[in-house]
Amino acid sequence: MQVALVALAAALAIGVPALATAWAQGRIGPAAAASLAEKPELSTTAIILIAIPETMVILGFVVAVMILLRTGGGG
Amino acid sequence: MIVQMARVRVAGPRAVLDRALAEVQDAGVLHVVRPAVKATLEATPARAQRHLRHLLDDVDAALALLCGAAPARTVPPLEPQSPPLAARLARAVRRQAERLARQLAAVEDERLLLLRYREFFTAFESLLGHELAWADGHAFYVVLRAGAADAVTPLRASLEKAVGAELELLARPLASGETAVLLLVPKPVAAKVAQLLSESRVQELPAPASLGETNLLRAMPKLKARLAELPELKRKHEAARAELREAYEDALLGLRAWLHDRLLVLEARAQAHAGPHLFVIEGWTPRAQFVPLANRLSSALGPEVVVEVVETQPWSRADAPVALQNPPLFKPFEVVTRMLPLPKYGTIDPTPFVAVFFPMFFGLMLGDVGYGLVLAALAVVLRLRSKPNTTLRSVAAVAGACAAFTTIFGVIFGELFGTLGQALGMRALFNREESVVPFLVACVGLGVVHILLGLVLAAVSTWRQGHKRAAMGRGVALFMVAFSVLSLLAAFEVLPEKLFTPFVIAVLVAFPVLVALEGVVAVIELLSTYGHILSYARIMALGTASLMLAVVANQMVGAMGSVVIGVVFALLFHIVNFAIGVFSPTIHALRLHYVEFFGKFYSPGGTAYHPLAHWQPSKQGG
Repeated sequence: MQVALVALAAALAIGVPALATAWAQGRIGPAAAASLAEKPELSTTAIILIAIPETMVILGFVVAVMILLRTGGGG
Repeated sequence: MIVQMARVRVAGPRAVLDRALAEVQDAGVLHVVRPAVKATLEATPARAQRHLRHLLDDVDAALALLCGAAPARTVPPLEPQSPPLAARLARAVRRQAERLARQLAAVEDERLLLLRYREFFTAFESLLGHELAWADGHAFYVVLRAGAADAVTPLRASLEKAVGAELELLARPLASGETAVLLLVPKPVAAKVAQLLSESRVQELPAPASLGETNLLRAMPKLKARLAELPELKRKHEAARAELREAYEDALLGLRAWLHDRLLVLEARAQAHAGPHLFVIEGWTPRAQFVPLANRLSSALGPEVVVEVVETQPWSRADAPVALQNPPLFKPFEVVTRMLPLPKYGTIDPTPFVAVFFPMFFGLMLGDVGYGLVLAALAVVLRLRSKPNTTLRSVAAVAGACAAFTTIFGVIFGELFGTLGQALGMRALFNREESVVPFLVACVGLGVVHILLGLVLAAVSTWRQGHKRAAMGRGVALFMVAFSVLSLLAAFEVLPEKLFTPFVIAVLVAFPVLVALEGVVAVIELLSTYGHILSYARIMALGTASLMLAVVANQMVGAMGSVVIGVVFALLFHIVNFAIGVFSPTIHALRLHYVEFFGKFYSPGGTAYHPLAHWQPSKQGG
């Protein structure tokens, strides 16, 4: 039971930020594509803007790993 | 680094202005700007520029038609003896080239059309004469679109119903997927059949008017003869075009170079002060280039022309153009810096730091000997296929550096296509699969170093620009971040525990100093700096994810039942992982630089250094 809860916690730690990142990138992506169609010189800004929400899922991944390692759920 | 510039003034008698501009253009080092002194500017010779641009349009159009997409050769500028004659010649060559291009296009169009007819008749060649045998018959030639072969039966049924059974319908498939249909009907019902075909929107193929025949079968011999003539006609037009190119290409290329040069001089001349007796040109040149430029102008124009450095205040140097100059090892990384607007003059060029940290971050994330070697091979291919001094060549060099760091970290992590290396006997000096937390700490530690370096550069840059208060503010922020990290190390007993309290006190003392120097906004900036340091955890996250994907790829070999299928799937998965592994670390290494690192000190908004020089096709996109 405890292992299942640890696994669930780790899954939530990465799953929720992943959904948030997907939602944010889903909004930034089309806007960036539309901007690039008119101003191709904005490509660097577009790349940065698309990469910014990934911080959420990356930190979520780190937290998930920490949960698994600290509680012994990973092993 | 950003090249040190000197503001230069060239003054002399009005009569030698054109010669002075020509010498400056030959020297190719002076970025001409408007004089700082109040001056009457030379009226822009708009009419002359307009004429030259029209002439350039003609030359460019003629060259594009004659040479196509062939790379332009470099030909020295050729000043025409008579510009009006040159304009007439360029216009005449352009018209001839356009006429030949039209003729060639017409030949090609006709060839394609006749091929379509020929295809149709090849399908019915065996029936040749069938139509002719039916004296009072009328033929329709119909093409059904691709995939509509099933429509033949309903077409026959509806026509038989409309005009009776007295008709003949023959269908043959064409290579294009369309269906050729030959329809023979008695002449009295021909009009009705034509109307029915028109109403049902069936595409009828009329006889080509150029052949002068309404009956396609009779036109067949003429069609074949015309098709045989067309290649010869095309060769004739192409020979005429080659002859025209041979006769005028060099002259047009020389004229184009001269026109570009002349337009550049006219633009520079519009920046010059030219009074009734005197001219003044001002501009920026690299400090090291001032003496050679002054010597050149003095020896060419005599002592009447004065060349001097104009002393400028630090604030006015912000107008100086920016030229980046880095050692050959770092220079390719200017491509990363140039993706943002250039830094302002007097600030810091981050290229040397990018050259060290960008491939290091990339290597830490991908960290695999196998992937590193594949990337190195791709970098070599890219280098062989690129020309010197191009963006592609710089990208090849950056890829090479990234490949080197990937391989080095691959050796340290003991990874060769994931865990395959360990299976083959490679020993990991640092196993990042097992030591997840130490790897995370190392990545965040690297982030601390990177961010502290950014704050040091920020303090130096703002101090150099004369904003001493802001520079001290950056210094205090740097102090606070450093001591916050030290107190954390003391708290976790990496440093002696007794140091914890002094470190925390130091941070608390620095806090009001920071607020006094930079206001409350500095507190928010400080908090965001801590967030930026944590952001470097992405190096560990992406690295671990890349490793796990490689491990999964290797496990496929044993999980598919058949070794061969397993190996194929593993290879496919490795290719996918490699593609992700190159793309994702690039984006995130860029982001760590642009957002976290550059955000501390980078001041965009510099003007690019464009000296008045001779036009070069490769630089101007011609």
